[in-house]
Amino acid sequence: MNIFDFEYKRESSIIHRLDPRAKLVYLILFTILTVYFTNPIILFLVFLSSLPIAILGKIVKKWATSIKGSLFFIVFIFIFNFIGIFWTTGNFIDTITISIAMAIRFISLISIFSIFFLSTSPEDLMQSMIKLKLPYEYVLTFNMAMRFVPTLAKEAQTIIDAQKSRGLEFEKGNIFQKVKKYIPILIPLIISSLRRAEIIADAMESRAFGASKTRSFLYTLNMNKKDFIFIIICIIVFITFLSLKIFFNIQ
Amino acid sequence: MIEFHNVFFSYQPGKDILKNINLKINKGELLAIIGPNGAGKTTLIKHINGLLKPQKGYVKVLDMNTKETTVALLARHVGFVFQNPDHQLFAETVEKEIMFALINFNFPENEIKERVERILHELDLIKYRNKSPFMLSGGERKRVALASVLCYDPSILILDEPTIGQDFHQKLNLIDLINKLNKEGKTVIIVTHDIEFVADFIPKCIIMSEGRIIADGPTEEILTDSKLLLENYLLPPQLVEISIALNINPPTINFEKLVSFIRKIIERKE
Repeated sequence: MNIFDFEYKRESSIIHRLDPRAKLVYLILFTILTVYFTNPIILFLVFLSSLPIAILGKIVKKWATSIKGSLFFIVFIFIFNFIGIFWTTGNFIDTITISIAMAIRFISLISIFSIFFLSTSPEDLMQSMIKLKLPYEYVLTFNMAMRFVPTLAKEAQTIIDAQKSRGLEFEKGNIFQKVKKYIPILIPLIISSLRRAEIIADAMESRAFGASKTRSFLYTLNMNKKDFIFIIICIIVFITFLSLKIFFNIQ
Repeated sequence: MIEFHNVFFSYQPGKDILKNINLKINKGELLAIIGPNGAGKTTLIKHINGLLKPQKGYVKVLDMNTKETTVALLARHVGFVFQNPDHQLFAETVEKEIMFALINFNFPENEIKERVERILHELDLIKYRNKSPFMLSGGERKRVALASVLCYDPSILILDEPTIGQDFHQKLNLIDLINKLNKEGKTVIIVTHDIEFVADFIPKCIIMSEGRIIADGPTEEILTDSKLLLENYLLPPQLVEISIALNINPPTINFEKLVSFIRKIIERKE
């Protein structure tokens, strides 16, 4: 698996060109659906509903990579739910159903969030957060954190290489020994991130960050027809799912 | 001892970083790899301890094919000191940092103690033994990183940019250490942008550019070929530039030689 595949790449599909606020509506509504329902079939439908957006956005390949990347956690979630629920209820059918539902819920969330982040540029995201009246400092902090995820991934790889060169073997040992082996990776990663944060703060201050209360922006966002159409489609799908609960009483 | 045979490597399909590398490095050689950024120098050296495996061709180190050997097994023979010490330091004390590799390689306890003691003395780190490596200065951290590799006595030593951030005094200490290790029979490979350092101290060098080995030979020949250097975005050493400016043919990287040439020119004028 290539960790760099999660990086945003500038492309110009219809989904990429949508206003990030429209996509935020999608993100929120569909997250509510995945959290609200517990029926595995409905959850699976919610998951499937993200597929057309991935196709329109021409991000199916990367979307699939992030789903594949989360498979490990999905198995983990399934097993733990299974053990936990079976322990308390002792009902096999219920246990299986709920465990499957939990796993699918997790995939759906991964799917929705990866579509949002794969098709939204960091600048757009920042702009929409500012439009939503969030304080600029927080928006910038969030944006920079996102910006440094790939850098951090790259650095983690270098650190892994450096420790392997000193004879660290990840494959050997039982689970506790394996967990312990991540200490020589995590400590240098944290320390060098802190060092970098300090350098960035200095660099920003020397370029007059925070010198004036108001600031101007290079890009501004505008909602137009396609954004409203997208939002309306999202709301219709959302209501359709909810009506299943009202008319058929599916949880 | 180290052999690259028709090696190709790419991180992304279609973009070869190493293009048909053929290279032999003999036991006990001391050589530098130079070249512009993105030439593939670091990618090349990562093949020597198996961190990267060739996609075409093969790399053999001490008669082991790196494709069939683990990094840990190769690392026992190939010491690799990374450019940035912050990418490997993690322990509470300098002493424990140095022990890390020794424990990984299953050295017996009394030998670990003995080796740590020896390397702390050798690299002048004895007064920091119980200090946290993070409290040390940049140059000192670099020395700890070096110590943590040298302690297990690998027969091949790879140093990625060892002179960055080191003052002149530290550079002299470094070259003393490199020479000493080389005299003990170790093969030492240095990747660097520091042309002057190579000109002054390293007898053999390789130029890489765009994934290929452009030149491979004695430093005296390669670094005096200013055309070759400029073609590959490298600045010739100052002594070579002076030689060329004074029409000294062939140009030299040897300080004494250059001085005697200049003396002759002055005497002729008088």
